[in-house]
Amino acid sequence: MKLEDFGTFVIFAAIYAASTLGLPKVLFLAYHIEIGVIPTAFVAIFGMPAVFGLTLGQFIASIGFEVSPIAMLSPAISFVGLLVVYFARKFSTLAGCVAYIIITSLWLSYMLPIVSGTPPNVAAYSAFAGQSIAVIIGYLGYLVAVRKILPRNTETALKQ
Amino acid sequence: MGTAAETSRDGVHYYEHSIWPALIAFATGLTAVGFFFLMKGVMLVAGFLLVSASALILAGFLYSDTRNWSSALSKFGKIPRDTLVGAFPVDISLTIQIIIMTELLLFGGAFGMYFAIREQFALWPPPGTPILDDTIARVQTLILISSSILVEWAIWQLKRGRLKAFKAGLIGTTILGALFPILQFGVEWPHLILNNILTPATNFFGATFYLLTGIHGAHVLVGVIAYGYTDIRAMMGQYSPKNHGFVEATSTYWHFVHIIWLFLFALMWQGSRV
Repeated sequence: MKLEDFGTFVIFAAIYAASTLGLPKVLFLAYHIEIGVIPTAFVAIFGMPAVFGLTLGQFIASIGFEVSPIAMLSPAISFVGLLVVYFARKFSTLAGCVAYIIITSLWLSYMLPIVSGTPPNVAAYSAFAGQSIAVIIGYLGYLVAVRKILPRNTETALKQ
Repeated sequence: MGTAAETSRDGVHYYEHSIWPALIAFATGLTAVGFFFLMKGVMLVAGFLLVSASALILAGFLYSDTRNWSSALSKFGKIPRDTLVGAFPVDISLTIQIIIMTELLLFGGAFGMYFAIREQFALWPPPGTPILDDTIARVQTLILISSSILVEWAIWQLKRGRLKAFKAGLIGTTILGALFPILQFGVEWPHLILNNILTPATNFFGATFYLLTGIHGAHVLVGVIAYGYTDIRAMMGQYSPKNHGFVEATSTYWHFVHIIWLFLFALMWQGSRV
């Protein structure tokens, strides 16, 4: 990561941490939909600074709450999922996002019953649905960016 | 004076071999030890002598250096546009990395202190600590995110030669940045202290709250001053697509201050709710 990528890294960390800590919770069944997960697909555009930024953002959001030590492992699991999105970007960002949903949902399905006593089946489908909603919203935003905003800027840059 | 000037290929004068940075660092150490003695009430004479010695060193530096200020200021406005001389040093990434590392040590120590104190308590925040209203903190977070995005956008515009957009973005960042300390030192702190909601004397949480947010607020102020300086240079046309090292250095510092704030927001406001 170069020094000039520091801004991207911080902005992604801030988006995750601030949206999780500062915005009202969106409850879906037994699981809070994390708004900070929405930018996941943008890892395909912004690369490793976004991966590290979202992971740090998740870590900061975790220390804001009195959570179980096992929940502090979530940033590491999320990091693995984000790496998959990053490396999958060359053939399919959507496939990367689906992999991210599966990885993080499996982890949440395991963790939520331990941390909050949620019944395992409720934890599983609420985590899967919650993560899917957040990531798909982000993926739609990613598609808009890739198809409409980025080509326009590239054209302008080429003209100049 | 102990300094030597060298001229590079570009005609830029780099002042090297100065003894003053080392002396000022030494004086800072003396001041810290001296104040420690004075505040603890032990070895008062030694404390007084140490603080006096550091004051003398600083006075010596100011005396020797102020003589150069007038010529430096007069040259400042004459730096031509679109030359590599314009915004030297063009590549100051090593400098800003060193600055960030020292800041990391400072804040690492401060947060280490916070966690060391926190470990002493079975319950944190200690009983009797008020639940802080985080409305202003949320606004401050929004301000920092907006300013970070805006300055990145401004640099992006500068790299593409869109100087008007760059200047607008940079000034917008400065205005947003200035709002942060206004909210902190002008609204939130007076509200908490004058209404006796939370003061440094309330408990350990209050003491660490003011220490950490105070150190951070001071850094934000420095960032705003740096942006003000950058704005002036931008207005003088001293930046170009090939010449923006100082702007990037300022923005890197700003992003660092931003990320420290995220930790503070998580620990001080959200952490006071549990």
